[in-house]
Amino acid sequence: MAASISHPALSSLRKINCNTNGIFSLISFSRRISVSSVLSTSAVATEKEGAGRGVRGQRRSKRQAGEPRTERMSVDQDWTAVYPTAAPFKPSAVPLPVRMGYPVKRGVPPAKKGNLELIKIPNFLHLTPVAIKKHCEALKQFCTEWPAALNSDEKCMKHFPIQVQSKEFVSAGLSVRNPDARIVTLKVKLSSLNLDDHARKKMIKLSEERYCKDTDTLTIVTDSCPLRQQNYDYAMYLLTVLYHESWKSEAWEQEKTRADMEEYEWEDSPSQKNLLDTLLRMRPTGAKDEEEGAREELLGQPAVQEYRDTLLKLKNEGETEENLQKYKEAVKKLFNI
Amino acid sequence: MNLHKLSSRLCPTVTQKFRHLHIQSSGQQLESVAVETASAEPNPLSVFRTSEQDPAYHSERQSGQYYTFPPAHIQKLFPHGLPPRFQLQIKTFNEGCVMVRPPALELISYLKRADYSKPPLRYVLYGDTGTGKTLSLCHALHYCYTQGWLIVHIPDAHLWVKNCKELLPSSSRPSRFDQPIQASHWLKNFKITNEHFLSKIKTTQRYVWTKRESTEMGQPLGELVDQGVNRMKSSSDVVGAVLRELRLQAGGITEGEGAFKLAVAVDGVNALWGKTSLKKEDRTLCEPEELTLIHNLRKMMKNNWSGGAILTALSQTGSLFTPRSAYLPNELLGEEGFDHMEPFVPVSVSNYDEKEFESCYLYYLDRNWLQHPHSRSEEGKKELIFLSNKNPSILERLCAFL
Repeated sequence: MAASISHPALSSLRKINCNTNGIFSLISFSRRISVSSVLSTSAVATEKEGAGRGVRGQRRSKRQAGEPRTERMSVDQDWTAVYPTAAPFKPSAVPLPVRMGYPVKRGVPPAKKGNLELIKIPNFLHLTPVAIKKHCEALKQFCTEWPAALNSDEKCMKHFPIQVQSKEFVSAGLSVRNPDARIVTLKVKLSSLNLDDHARKKMIKLSEERYCKDTDTLTIVTDSCPLRQQNYDYAMYLLTVLYHESWKSEAWEQEKTRADMEEYEWEDSPSQKNLLDTLLRMRPTGAKDEEEGAREELLGQPAVQEYRDTLLKLKNEGETEENLQKYKEAVKKLFNI
Repeated sequence: MNLHKLSSRLCPTVTQKFRHLHIQSSGQQLESVAVETASAEPNPLSVFRTSEQDPAYHSERQSGQYYTFPPAHIQKLFPHGLPPRFQLQIKTFNEGCVMVRPPALELISYLKRADYSKPPLRYVLYGDTGTGKTLSLCHALHYCYTQGWLIVHIPDAHLWVKNCKELLPSSSRPSRFDQPIQASHWLKNFKITNEHFLSKIKTTQRYVWTKRESTEMGQPLGELVDQGVNRMKSSSDVVGAVLRELRLQAGGITEGEGAFKLAVAVDGVNALWGKTSLKKEDRTLCEPEELTLIHNLRKMMKNNWSGGAILTALSQTGSLFTPRSAYLPNELLGEEGFDHMEPFVPVSVSNYDEKEFESCYLYYLDRNWLQHPHSRSEEGKKELIFLSNKNPSILERLCAFL
């Protein structure tokens, strides 16, 4: 039916076009065309409405949105009622004037209404301190009392030097299992273990990058077994083995060279030899007595001790301006400048 | 407005300074006229120069002020010793002026107080790039020269470990390599600096160069040096022999003639223990130990002789395979170098402070080096301070644009 209506309109269009030239006539017949097209589509619409719901129902009236909930929120309302669980960001429910997004030229970040960026990101509006307090109150009935004797961190560390950490995962999905839950981290401070000098150095060498020098903590992370219990047992086993092995000394440990040493040692170091040579040469010729006695005497001088201290600091702690200044003072004192 | 006032103040002094330039031949007159202008007009522009030309008398009072190298001394003492940019500056300004700064003063005071019957003390000048280590070393060397010491000056040890065109296997030792060009060049300059010593010092042993050439015992050192300059092939060994002779005879075992103090000055001393960029014939990298010149120089750095001082300066600028920000002795010398040089006195050289910057700025103004009108204003000065962070070399390069 629409086709039959439009046909004569098109034919009349052609006729008009050949007869007249002005724009007037063009406008007039275009109006005629638009009227006819409206007529035709409305005819189509009425047909289809009878059949079902239209995808692009132009006539369907849109319900006006009421005022947002934020207008009616008081300052001391219960926020846990607004966001009791994790929920996406609802601009009409959050009374904050938040802006997010990249501004167009000479503009500002877009407002929160209809802002997809704010909806995409995770929010923690359901975890305010008040909400967490409520969680704690609810969980208290399932907990036992904290022992009164352990009322400070130091006491906890003293009685329980080994800390074991593992993670629990809760999620809703096809399966409740999470393979990351089997990882066990064991942390212990070496100062709380009974180690002598050699054992401590050996333990640090054996644990390589698992030992942190700044905090003096050994961290063992185990994830090779499928169950958490097994990983925990394995971590405890590793700690035991490390401890006992570091107390033993093997035959080949006698071959430890200067390059293997962790810190610079003054005895028998090239710097000690240099210093001794220099001092010996500085003594007036003729006073060349027994070597041993002279050596001990030279090493015992306070200036030499000071030089030794500054040099050890330079080598072990690294070089800084102040270390260098102290070294300079020590050298000046040695040579009486 | 400021510019007009400044130029009206500048005019009388500028004409007088032009008069200075005309009478430059007589240094005495220059000094006296300078003193006159200083007393006649209390003008801040002449505050940066000191009339004290002898480094022996420099003290904290002259700190921050410029003193001039006498041109005759520059020719003799520093035939190759000054940094290239400074040589250009000398040519441009027609005079070599160096600022008296605390590190150099410190070094000179140590040299004055040291006991020369004991083994030599090693002084290491260290500091960030461009803070003035090389020029402080030259200042101290000038002091040694005016005191009549024998100077052994290696201007840049880095030149001996890189870019050598010829590397010959050593004639005396099979495992070592010679650098004839560098060695003979250095011997020529050594000859210019220490002309008057060369006839006085005698060799203590016989040196055989080839089947037909040898130097007998008791010959003056000058002959040894000539041998090295003429015969390029054995020049590196000659350098070794010269250094050995000087080591044995410094301090004056014999009283009277032959008594001299030895100043060994090496710039870029970290090259001796670093890496080289020279390759042997089978394309492997050369170790510094395998080069004759470096080997002999290392022996010189040891304090097993007496009667002199060892002045050194570290340098990151020419060094190979070291990070740009390294400037502390341990980082640049490495473990081996540190152990070798120990115990040494580290002397720190830092950027200009307020007074020194003022002084430098006024010097450039006086020399009409700052042509840009904005640079003469207070704001321009603040800009210069900000851009250069009072680093001497950066300031010099900046002012070259203006």
